Amino acid sequence: MMRKIPKYILIVATTVIFLLSSCSPGSCFEETNAYVKAKFFLTSTSKAAAPDSITLYGVGRENSYVYLKALKVSQALMPLDASAENCSLVLKINGVNDTISFTYSTYSKLISKECGYAFYHSIETPEYTKHIIDTVIVVKSTITTLSEQNISIYY
Amino acid sequence: MLYIQAAGQDAEQKADSVVIPLRISAGLEISGPVIYFTDKSTLNLEGFVSGDINEKMSVFLGTGYSDFSYSQYNYNFTAKGIYFRVGPDFNLLRPEMAVGKYWAGLGIHYGLSNFSYETSSYRHDNYWGSVTSSLPGQSGWAHYLEVSGGFKAELFRNFNIGWLINVRKMVYSGADKNLPPIYYPGYGNGGKTISFGLNYYISWSIPYKKIKVKIKPEPVEEPEEDEETQNQDETQSVGRQGIGR
Repeated sequence: MMRKIPKYILIVATTVIFLLSSCSPGSCFEETNAYVKAKFFLTSTSKAAAPDSITLYGVGRENSYVYLKALKVSQALMPLDASAENCSLVLKINGVNDTISFTYSTYSKLISKECGYAFYHSIETPEYTKHIIDTVIVVKSTITTLSEQNISIYY
Repeated sequence: MLYIQAAGQDAEQKADSVVIPLRISAGLEISGPVIYFTDKSTLNLEGFVSGDINEKMSVFLGTGYSDFSYSQYNYNFTAKGIYFRVGPDFNLLRPEMAVGKYWAGLGIHYGLSNFSYETSSYRHDNYWGSVTSSLPGQSGWAHYLEVSGGFKAELFRNFNIGWLINVRKMVYSGADKNLPPIYYPGYGNGGKTISFGLNYYISWSIPYKKIKVKIKPEPVEEPEEDEETQNQDETQSVGRQGIGR
């Protein structure tokens, strides 16, 4: 009787394991774009305040908008050009245009087997016009896919 | 009457101990080649030798070769290399159940993977357009720990089959932290700090020594005092067979 138990376990367990071992390729559910994450503040109060509306597009890509009159965006996601070492974005806050220019280095990062690779960046202090923007402060210079603020925009 | 008593004594002597053959085994992992016939992107060849130290413990030494490639819409990746595993295996079956033919237990192995890998192309799309790049080949040594659990049984004389579920924990990846391989030979998915695996083995064994192992008697349950008092009369009437049943 005792010698029959292991054979029984072997047959049942092997069958179960074969069934369980069939697997399907996974899908990518992670963020693969590393944006500059910009949070807005009112200069007068120094408190976080989403503009009534923002429009954002890249210089040289005027017909393609990242945001178009988007309402009450508290944190804007600004894409960088991984094929270049610098790029400029036009940011229209409450109908007033400013341009922010980023200079950065780019490196590759494996996100996961399912998602593949992303480009991360390390930015320098950006240059910007001051039509409505008062100050841009770099909070975290490493631009990753993580949800963490990179710059503060005071307007 | 005397004959029955002698036979009974003999049976008791046999139950006291069991003879276990200690073996040296050599085997092959068979799921790797089988998978390769259906999926040419992954070739995994693995073999092992194992030597019994006693009825509970054996020493495992495994080695293998992996050639892995993976492609999806945004990148192409290849990795290959050799790996080694070494460590003790413990049979958790009682000797009278294992009888040198069955193994159900755990193994604790140290793993070493010598890998090389390359991402021949990858593509990334964002607002600014599509960027295509590649990553040059890299190589290194990865160290990991593995805990295996499973079952093996002697199917024919000295011929065994079995399976093992492996849980592996990377100790040192030996790779660029931003660009680790997505697959380590012997370890598996490089994107995970813990990797799972499943192996099916066939093996041949050569007994090199027989040992006699004492069987621990099964503990006899002592009746509780109340029951003992209540059943005292009954116990006396039915004799020893009734105790603890």
